[in-house]
Amino acid sequence: MSIGAVVVAQNNSTIDYVKLAIFSAKQINKFLDIPVSIVTDSKGYLESQYPDHPFDQILDISEDAFYFQRRFNDGALANKVLEWKNLSRYRVYDLTPYDTTLVVDVDYIINSSVLKPALFLDHPLQIYSQSMDIANWRNVEEFQRINPYSIPFYWATVFIFNKGNVTSAFFSLLSHIKDNWEYFRTLYCISSPMFRNDLAFSIAIHIMNGKKSGDFAQELPGKMIYAKDTDVLISVKDTAMKFLIEKKDYLGEYNVAKTSGLDIHVMNKLSLSRYIDGGSGV
Amino acid sequence: MVSKGFLLFAQNTDSIDYVEQAYALALSIKNTQHDIRNVSLVTNSKVPKKYARVFDQIIPIPYFKKIKNSPLQAEHRYQLYAATPYQETMVLDSDMLLLDDIGSWWNYCGNYDVHFCNRVTDYKLETVVDTVHRKTFMANQLPNVYYALHYFKKSDTASEFYKILEFVVNNWEACYGRFASDEYQNWVSMDVSTAIAIKLSGMEDVAYSTCNPMRFTHMKPAIQSWPIVPDSWQTAVPCVLNNHGKLIVGNIQQDKLFHYVEKHFVNKKILSKLEELYDAKA
Repeated sequence: MSIGAVVVAQNNSTIDYVKLAIFSAKQINKFLDIPVSIVTDSKGYLESQYPDHPFDQILDISEDAFYFQRRFNDGALANKVLEWKNLSRYRVYDLTPYDTTLVVDVDYIINSSVLKPALFLDHPLQIYSQSMDIANWRNVEEFQRINPYSIPFYWATVFIFNKGNVTSAFFSLLSHIKDNWEYFRTLYCISSPMFRNDLAFSIAIHIMNGKKSGDFAQELPGKMIYAKDTDVLISVKDTAMKFLIEKKDYLGEYNVAKTSGLDIHVMNKLSLSRYIDGGSGV
Repeated sequence: MVSKGFLLFAQNTDSIDYVEQAYALALSIKNTQHDIRNVSLVTNSKVPKKYARVFDQIIPIPYFKKIKNSPLQAEHRYQLYAATPYQETMVLDSDMLLLDDIGSWWNYCGNYDVHFCNRVTDYKLETVVDTVHRKTFMANQLPNVYYALHYFKKSDTASEFYKILEFVVNNWEACYGRFASDEYQNWVSMDVSTAIAIKLSGMEDVAYSTCNPMRFTHMKPAIQSWPIVPDSWQTAVPCVLNNHGKLIVGNIQQDKLFHYVEKHFVNKKILSKLEELYDAKA
């Protein structure tokens, strides 16, 4: 039975997701010791710019050109409105060359082997619903339920699935939700018209559970730890990461926080990109 | 063969047709229960012929006398022990609907003479501790029991217990003053009276239990973990009883027992759906 990871990278005009994917893949190789394949619409760019890339396979989705516009924060005071291509996640089931696949967003940085045991479990889907904000003062309700009146929230940032009839049905359902997003977002009282994988996954898991609490989706080990895009990554050294965390009630001011040996979702892709380029991230 | 059945209490007021609610509950029992489907109604109100067909027996309240400060006169429910035609009885409040087979509850409760529900959930099916309506329970360390769902079997122990409960109900001011003086409730409550009766009878170890499977969804708006508490939960979340008899509230399929609380929940649409399902089964 084959085990591997898949990262999805679709560049926009500013963020080089392929570069982030290479960084992410190296971390996965280092800590989980499994092959990593990339799903990308920038195959030519990858091969020409990063000929020594670490990927096991390149899975081309160049036909997926649709994107949204959304705001990308770069710390508490700066932001850019950029293209956001996030509609290909449901295709991972068909694209992955592995029987058991760890799917990781390029901005989820693996710094430990905590996910490794989960790769050998026989659950159809393992995913995070529990999370922890690295800044302990921010309102986290949006990551507990998709809205205060509705169903539990799941993170599509990182998950593990085993191929089989049940997961095949799950990914078909995801595709159906994506294709009928207007209907589902109305049904689940989601105010933003923008399609989000987290919300689509949450709805699909809820339906797979028979619209009640169930065990279709198992919790991944630990919690999803995240730094929001209003925080700034300063540096990475071995397994230690240093951040500027936005200060409560003082817009534009920060506290310094350091993590060690923790997998962490760095939502500020711009600062992550600067760090990879050899800068300090700031 | 030991007779088992559900016992409902309904006493109409000028504004609320409790008998109609009991009829809806009886239909839901007939629609969902596999083995134990007997239902009897204790009432002094007139029961329409159409409603009477779903009840095994319609039993008058054994000893009816006007209770002061009690517009609903629901405290006569302590007489359910004397009224029941069954050897083993499951008591349900009339403003509930049964949505799943609860055969396993009977098996569990059969180990006890009297057993009370001590856990409720919100419609998200998460256990809630009611700190809004149950201040007196916490302040006086009373057992957190719900008379709305309980079990008893004909036995000396149960008989003794209901005698004590009768005493508490008939002398509630003195008993509440003695055992529930903090956060004092100046009206008769079956829940508070029951909690005191459990204390007085020394049955705290056997009248409820931590692994008790009995629970219900409690739809009081204040315990739904909502940011804004509406007057009616029906204005906050959509609700539908579908053709399969599944009740979906806020996109979450309700299970087991649903305590809708609001008297106008049972409307013509709900009632005709329950009747349709009942007729299809019959």
